[in-house]
Amino acid sequence: MSKPSDLVQGTLDLLLLKILALQPMNGWAISLRLKSISGDVLQVSEGSLYPALHKLEQEGWITAEWKQTENNRRAKFYSLTRLGRKQLESEAANWQRLSSAISQVIRLEEA
Amino acid sequence: MGPQHWRYTIPLRLRSLFRRRHVEQELNEELQFHLEKKLAEGIARGLSPKEARYAAMRAMGGLEQRKEEMRDMRRIHWLTDFLDDARFAIRSLGRTPGLAAFVVITLALGIGMTSATFSMVDALIFRPYPVPHPSGVVTLVSTTQDKSFDNFSYREYLDIRDKTKSYEGVIVYADMEAVGFSAGPGATPRVRGGMMVSGNYFHVLGVEPRLGRGFREDEDQVPGRDAVVVLGPDFWKHEFASDPSVLGRTVRLNGKEFIVIGVAPESFPGMLIFGHPDFYMPLAMARVFSTNLRKNFFEDRDDRELNVKARLKPGTTLEQARNELAVLAKNFESEYPKVNRSRSAAVYTQFETRTLEDGNWKFCVIFLILALAVMLVACTNVAGLLLSRARARTREIAVRLAIGASRFRLIRLLLTESLILSSLGGLAGIAIGYGFVEWFHSKQNIIFMTDLPVGVPFNMDTRALLVSLALSVVSALLCGLAPALQGTSTDLVNGLKSADVDVPGRKRLWGRNMLVVAQVSTSLMLLTASFLMARSFQHSLLDGTGFAKDHLLMVGFDPRLEQYSAAQTKQFYKLLAERVRETPGVQSAALTQTVPLGQDGLDGVAFVPDGFQMPRDRESFTSAMDTVDEGYFETMGIPVLRGRGFRVSDTAEAPRVAVVNEQFAKHYWPAGDAVGKYIRLENGAGVPVEIVGVAQIIKYQDTREKPMDFVYMPLAQHPLSRMTLMLRSSADPLQLVLPVKEIVRALDANLPMLQTRPYEDLYLNMAVKGPQIATDLVGTMGAVGLFLAVAGLYGLVAYNVSRRTREIGIRIALGALSSDVLRLVMGKGLMLVGTGTVIGLAMGFALEQLMNSMLFDAGGVDIVAYVIVVPSLFLVTMLAAYVPARRASRIAPTQALRYE
Repeated sequence: MSKPSDLVQGTLDLLLLKILALQPMNGWAISLRLKSISGDVLQVSEGSLYPALHKLEQEGWITAEWKQTENNRRAKFYSLTRLGRKQLESEAANWQRLSSAISQVIRLEEA
Repeated sequence: MGPQHWRYTIPLRLRSLFRRRHVEQELNEELQFHLEKKLAEGIARGLSPKEARYAAMRAMGGLEQRKEEMRDMRRIHWLTDFLDDARFAIRSLGRTPGLAAFVVITLALGIGMTSATFSMVDALIFRPYPVPHPSGVVTLVSTTQDKSFDNFSYREYLDIRDKTKSYEGVIVYADMEAVGFSAGPGATPRVRGGMMVSGNYFHVLGVEPRLGRGFREDEDQVPGRDAVVVLGPDFWKHEFASDPSVLGRTVRLNGKEFIVIGVAPESFPGMLIFGHPDFYMPLAMARVFSTNLRKNFFEDRDDRELNVKARLKPGTTLEQARNELAVLAKNFESEYPKVNRSRSAAVYTQFETRTLEDGNWKFCVIFLILALAVMLVACTNVAGLLLSRARARTREIAVRLAIGASRFRLIRLLLTESLILSSLGGLAGIAIGYGFVEWFHSKQNIIFMTDLPVGVPFNMDTRALLVSLALSVVSALLCGLAPALQGTSTDLVNGLKSADVDVPGRKRLWGRNMLVVAQVSTSLMLLTASFLMARSFQHSLLDGTGFAKDHLLMVGFDPRLEQYSAAQTKQFYKLLAERVRETPGVQSAALTQTVPLGQDGLDGVAFVPDGFQMPRDRESFTSAMDTVDEGYFETMGIPVLRGRGFRVSDTAEAPRVAVVNEQFAKHYWPAGDAVGKYIRLENGAGVPVEIVGVAQIIKYQDTREKPMDFVYMPLAQHPLSRMTLMLRSSADPLQLVLPVKEIVRALDANLPMLQTRPYEDLYLNMAVKGPQIATDLVGTMGAVGLFLAVAGLYGLVAYNVSRRTREIGIRIALGALSSDVLRLVMGKGLMLVGTGTVIGLAMGFALEQLMNSMLFDAGGVDIVAYVIVVPSLFLVTMLAAYVPARRASRIAPTQALRYE
C-alpha cells in the first residue's frame, strides 16, 4: 500500500477529519480542498485519498451517504460521526502537543 | 477500541461481508466519479481526451491496486480469503471423495474415542462441583496410617466448625443411604436415596433452592426436633410430577413424618460423582437414619460417618488452612488419646480429593493413554495421506508459487483443507462420542445394581464438545502442517518440469517411515492391552469364586426403614430365619451383612492378635469382615477347613467368637494353628474374641482380587440392622420368592423386600457383564487402532510403489524377476513392521506393568497374549504390504515407461 510518504504518518487522517468537520463533502471535493488549503506543502496523492477515506469509514469515524451533486450526478458524500468528532479532538490535541514539543526542542538547539 | 466503538464498526463489517457486491459497486462508482471529474478538469485545461484520461489514471496510481487497498481497509479480508480458500478446498476435496471420506472416518474414530474418554475423565476428576465458585470448596479428612481418607465424627465436626478460622463455613454430609420413603401413612415404603446434611449445607455451598427454602442453621441443632426434608430436583420431578404445592406436605421417611420445605435446583444434583440424592434431611434427625446400632452418633467421637467440606475464606491460602487443621488434629490426639491415637487430618482441593481418594483415576489414566494412542494413530494416518496428496499436487503448487502466490498464503490454503477435513471428522467424532456415552448409559443397570439413585455421570456436555472441537483443530494442525510445509517448499524448477519428479528426498521418506513405525507400535500396544484384559478376565472366571453361586435366592431387609428397635430387629431376623428354614424347597438359609462380589463395600474391623507385639507406631491392624449367622458357610458352600463354623449357641451372652479365612490365619500365625487363638477388637485392651474356625478363601469383592485377610463375626454377637437373606433351593430359586413374601407379610406387612433376585444374576452382572464392558471398550480401541495401522501401512507401500513405477519398469525391462521386485518392495515394509513391533512390544510390556500395578493382578507377564498378538499383527501388516507389492511385481515395463 502506498503511503503519503511526504506526510507525517497519521496526519492524513487528521486532515481529512478536520475537512469533514467543516462540512460533508464528496471525494473529489475533498481532494480539491486538500490541494487548495495546503498548497504545495502537503502533497496528498489522489491514489491514497480513497483508501484513507475507506479506512476512516470502517473505523466508524465518518459515514457516507449517496447524494446528488449540483449537476445531478450521484456522488458519495462523507460526513463526521460523533465518534469521529471525538477522534478529531484527541488527534488534534495530540498534534498540538507534539508540534509544540518539537518546536521547543528546536528553540533549545538554536539558543 | 471499546464496545462503544464496535457498535459502529460491527454493522459496517457485516455490510462488507454480506453485501459484498453492493459495496464493490459503490466503490467502482465512487472512483468512476472521481475519474470523470479529473477527466473534465484535464479537458478544461486543454488536454486531448486521451491525454486527460491517461493523466487521471496516473494521478490515481493504478486503479486496481487502489481497489485492493480499499478492500483491505474493510478488515474482513482474512475472512473473505478464508471463505475463498474453503470453497476451493471443498472443490478440490470433492475430486478425491474416497480419500476425503477415509480421512474423515479416521479422524472421527480418533476424536470420538478421545472425547468419549474425556467425558469419562471429566466426570470422575475434573468437572467442578455444581455450586457457585466451586474452587473455594475444599475437603477435610481424618487420616490414619491405614486410611488416608477417613471421615469425621459428629463431635469432631462441631470442633472443626467452631475452632477454625480459615473457612466461610464448614459443612458435613453423611453418605447417601437407603431410606424407606412413603408418601402416606398406609403405603409400603420404597427404598430411596437420602442424605443427611448439616443445616448450613445449602447456604455455605451457595445453592439457592428452586422452591421453598433450604435448611436453617438451627434445624440441625436439637436432635430429633426438626423433621424437615428438602427434595432433590429429579425426585421432585418424578415422584411429585413437579408439583409446586408439595411444599408443606408430609411424607414418611423410615416411618417418621417429615415436612417438605424445599426443592433443590436442577443445577444441583448433589456433590457426589455417581449418586444424586432423592432428598436431604438435617443431621439432627440422625436417630431416624443411623446405621450403626452400637454407637451413639451425637456423642461418640469415634463414630466417624461424616464427610466434611468447607468453603475457604477469600484470601486464606490452602497452606494456612492445612496448618490450622493439623494443629487441631494434634489437640484432638492429646485430648482424646483413646480414639485419636496416631490420627491426623488433611485439607484437599477437589482435584486432590478425586485423585487421591479412590481408584477411579487409575481407570482414567489407562483409558486416556489408550484413547490418545488411537488418536495418535489416526492423526499419523491422515498426515501420511495428506502428505501423498501434497506430493501429487507438487505441480499445481509449483505453478501457484511461480505466478506469485506467497508461501504463507499457500500454507493457509492447505491448512484450510485439513481444517475442513478435521471439522467434518470432529462432527462425526461427536456422533461416535455420543454413541459411546449412550452405550455406557445403557449399561447403567449392570454397572450399578442397586435401588439407590446412582447413574453413569458421563455426558457429552459442553465441556466434552469443546474438547472435541479443540481436538479437531489440533488434529488439523498435526495432520496438515507437515504436509503443507513440505508441499510448499517445492523446488520450482523441478516442480514445473514434469509430473513425476522424484527428487530423492531421504528426509521426506524418513518422516513417513516414522509414521508407520509409530502406528504399528501403538496398535500393538493397544492390542496387547485388550488381550491382557480379556485374558485376565477369562482367567478369573476359570479360577472360580470358592463358593457355590447357583440355586441361591437373595432378599435384602432393612428394619430401620420401619423404625425397629435393636430388640425388634433381632426378633424379626430370628423369626424370619426360623420360618424360611421350615419352607419346603429351602435346603438351607443364611443371613449375611454383605453378599460376596456384591455392590456394597466391605465392613472393616480393627484388631490386635492377642500376644502380638505391635510395632510402636501402630495401635491395631485392620481386616475386611462380614457379619453372618450360623447357616452361612453351609448355604454358601464355603468349606470350614479347621475348627468349626458358627453355632446357635454363639449367642450375645456367650463368649465372643470369630471365624477367619486361611489368608488371615497364615498371615498372623504362620507357624501354628489359628484355631483357639484370640484377637482383641480395636486395640490391645479391647474385647477378646476367640478364633473358632478357619474358612477357605473365596473371592470377596472382585473376581480378580488378590487373596486378602477376612474375618467373620456371628450376627448374634454383632447385631446389625441391614441384612441379606440367602436361600439355597433345590429347584429354581425364583420359586421361593412367593413363600418368602408370605412369611415377611405375616411378620410385618410394611417391610419391603429389597434386591430380590437369584444370586447368579448379581454374580453375572458384577463378575461377568461388568468386566466385559471394560474389555469391550479396550478391545474396540485395539481393533480400531489395528484397522487404522493396517490402512496406513497399505497406503504407504502403495504410495511407494506408485512413486517408483518407472524405476520398477526399468528394472523389469532390464531383466529383474517379479520375485526380485516383490522382495524389493516388501523389504521396506518388513523393516518398518519389524521396528514397529519391537517398539510396540516394549510399550505393551510397560502398559501391562502399569495395568497390573493399578487395576488388578493378571499374574505377571502374560506370554500367551504376546504369542497371539505379535504374529497376528505381523501377518496382517505383511498382507497390507504384500498387496501393493504384488501389483508392483506385475508392472508391464512398456506401460510403466510410458507412464505420464
